[in-house]
Amino acid sequence: MNTWPVELTLDNCIKCTICVTACPVAAVTDRFPGPKYEGPQGARFRHAGQPAPDLSVDYCSGCRVCNMVCPTGVKIAEINARARAFMVERGRFSRRTRLRNNLLARPETLGRWGHRVAPLANALLHNRWARLVAHVVLGIDRRAPLPTLAGERFTAWFRGRAAPLPAGERRVVYFHGCSTEYYEPRVGRAAVRVLEANGFEVIVPPQGCCGLPLLSNGEFGAARAYYRENVRRLVEYARQGYAIVGTSTSCTLTLKEEAPELLDIHDDDARLLAAHTFDLSEFLLALDDRGELRADMGPVPGTVLYHAPCQYRAHRLGAPSLELLRRIPELDVIESRADCCGIAGTYGFKREKYEIAMRVGRPLFDHVRESGVSLVACDSETCRWQIVHATGVQAVHPVELLAKAYGVE
Amino acid sequence: MRDRFPLPSTCEGGEEGDQVSHNGTVTYTGPAVDVLIMGAGLAGLVAAWQAAAGGCRVRVVARGPGTLFWHAGCVDLLGYEASGAGEPIAAPADALRRLIQDEPSHPYARVGLEGVEAALRALQELCEAAGYPLRGDVNRNWLLPSAAGAFRPTCLAPETMVAGDLARRDPLLIVGFEGMLDFYPELVADNLAEQERPARSVRLDLPALRERRLLTPVTLARLFERADFRRDVAEALRPKLGRAARVGFPAVLGLDRALEVKRDLETRLGREVFEIPALPPSVPGMRLHAILVEAIRRAGGEVLTGMEVVRADVADGRVEAVFTEAAARLKPHRAHAFVLATGGLLGGGIVADAEGRLREVVLDLPVQGPEERLQWFRQDFLAPEGHPVYAAGLAVDGHFRPVDAGGAPIYANLFAAGTILAGEDYLRRRSLDGVALATGYAVGRRVAHIVREAAA
Repeated sequence: MNTWPVELTLDNCIKCTICVTACPVAAVTDRFPGPKYEGPQGARFRHAGQPAPDLSVDYCSGCRVCNMVCPTGVKIAEINARARAFMVERGRFSRRTRLRNNLLARPETLGRWGHRVAPLANALLHNRWARLVAHVVLGIDRRAPLPTLAGERFTAWFRGRAAPLPAGERRVVYFHGCSTEYYEPRVGRAAVRVLEANGFEVIVPPQGCCGLPLLSNGEFGAARAYYRENVRRLVEYARQGYAIVGTSTSCTLTLKEEAPELLDIHDDDARLLAAHTFDLSEFLLALDDRGELRADMGPVPGTVLYHAPCQYRAHRLGAPSLELLRRIPELDVIESRADCCGIAGTYGFKREKYEIAMRVGRPLFDHVRESGVSLVACDSETCRWQIVHATGVQAVHPVELLAKAYGVE
Repeated sequence: MRDRFPLPSTCEGGEEGDQVSHNGTVTYTGPAVDVLIMGAGLAGLVAAWQAAAGGCRVRVVARGPGTLFWHAGCVDLLGYEASGAGEPIAAPADALRRLIQDEPSHPYARVGLEGVEAALRALQELCEAAGYPLRGDVNRNWLLPSAAGAFRPTCLAPETMVAGDLARRDPLLIVGFEGMLDFYPELVADNLAEQERPARSVRLDLPALRERRLLTPVTLARLFERADFRRDVAEALRPKLGRAARVGFPAVLGLDRALEVKRDLETRLGREVFEIPALPPSVPGMRLHAILVEAIRRAGGEVLTGMEVVRADVADGRVEAVFTEAAARLKPHRAHAFVLATGGLLGGGIVADAEGRLREVVLDLPVQGPEERLQWFRQDFLAPEGHPVYAAGLAVDGHFRPVDAGGAPIYANLFAAGTILAGEDYLRRRSLDGVALATGYAVGRRVAHIVREAAA
């Protein structure tokens, strides 16, 4: 059923309303009536030459909880994403909103320019008055958990390493994503070291933003350009049989499925790249299947609460990172059962959606606080920022704990 | 030249490096579980719970959250005789004894009366421990009102529903809420009154009902968990109680603390209170779902949704692995035993093609039932014997293993439970939950036994 085109699946809707019951956004706000109404029902009224029905579909956060609970395989989140793009195309969003969305949705451009003036950019990102101006003028909420630019870009560190590479028996391509490159290079360093500890030579070819932030803001034209460029740059590695491994679950999901599906790009290259793209934990467990994962993990004493991002669940693989974390000696892992942290990429940064995002995440934040942990592990960058912002508890990527366990941090 | 890293494995896509089909790649498998259960309806969850409680490592995979979200939250064991004629069955135990004798390949006959009773007791104990007791026993059926005001014969009902017992004739007041879709108190009351159960109806409109634009059953259930809302409901209702001895609400009296909500309302109203199951998403079904999933997790099992089983690998008369659809690939699940609880024609475990041929979706097992569409239905739409297609399903052996035309099990480690089983018209006979529970229970225990023996 999942190979069906997005729009065809709406006929499978049996109006059971389970998605409305499960939707974390509809649970906390009336601005989004619920996936069933916006998705399969609203889609019947979205036709070229007819007025786009309303703006409420823009309040879909794209978390894909609805897809996961739909008993009949309706691609609700994708229908909503396309509906938003339809509205962008029709000029239903103000210029200011589109400017704001395009700023938030281009982490690569922001990172590249911001990085050149990092001290100034960081000062602005966290300056009360600058944030107030951005709040009022642009609509970027002044309380939103904007990240801090790192002193050194991930790729600069990678190129400048003195450490010799492993012998190169096995090689793997690392897709770092924008946040690792500009904001959290520590995640990329941990990933490279964990892969090297497992005997891989890591290749980091030139790569661009995966395009997901643009896709979830309905900017399909720009997203298409980014995605095509990545396919062009990476497909040769796929063709040679390399795995392309990422630490950002939403980037890998975009390469695997979101971009080809939403943009209707199903050519051989797109398929090949999708088939060769792996989330890091998924990849490590695949190694383990073949008895090739290094098992000698040292103890990492402590307790961590693990939250699987919505975008990881949407890979439909179970919880690979949880499986890995549970193997680390002396590490107690508490599993979060909360649906969503609320941030949903760029969603929770927006002035009109900040409060919604915080309310969506409340069950998770309460769980973090009540469990009394001093560390959260989560695979997705914006989720980590949101969790830190809401709870004050430190958040890391699971691979950082693996690096510790291997003694290669 | 350096070796590239080959992908974990590929299937159906031909040689590595060839063009890979949309779902061509297979990802990691992980260590095999003992029991892999397909389907998260009542049968699948009960089988998983029993296998996990029996010491097995269990995983449930399902496309959605499972059919309990559509479920009335009661256990209909046997409501009507096979002939379809006559009154609802009053004493299901007697009727079951006759059925087991007359229909030796019926799922109930395979479980046996003792097995059915054990399954009912086990579920009652589990729910009692969760603070949500199910009342009733195999010797009598309740007659409870449906959302259309019809009489609904059922064996086990949550304590929140039993004051609706229609064996009693004391007057009822049926309450509805302005803005709640698909529950019409007037319809319920009028139909009950026509059947000599004195009943009136009332519709409440409270400010809290307008806090949200849409009033879903779950929104209402969350409202009922608030004491201030219960106070407002009670205040609005008190002047309208009249001669009513009991007050019926749609089944939305709280998700997690239903019993507490019901008792609090009874104290405030000075009347007995009961719930009437309404349309999906069904709150009492969700409560049962939560209790079973929690029991599975407590016993170390896992329940994964959003995973549709699309393929299986078989060899030497055994199922080796099943594959669920994942982003850009298939996810294999290896196990020692597999339980098929994907449902029948209504649940999606069996589908029909344009000619009306029936097909089991995971392993293409032979389906016992009409062979073409012309044989699906009788001439008479309201034929009391029902229509053949509704009893279509898998034939199984005494261990609940699907069998071929010769009666031999097709795979040594594949079991089936629930409405995918042939030989019963579940809806017409009102036996769906009973068969799901009893066969899920029997299969779960049997599989646990087999896994333990293999390990020993």
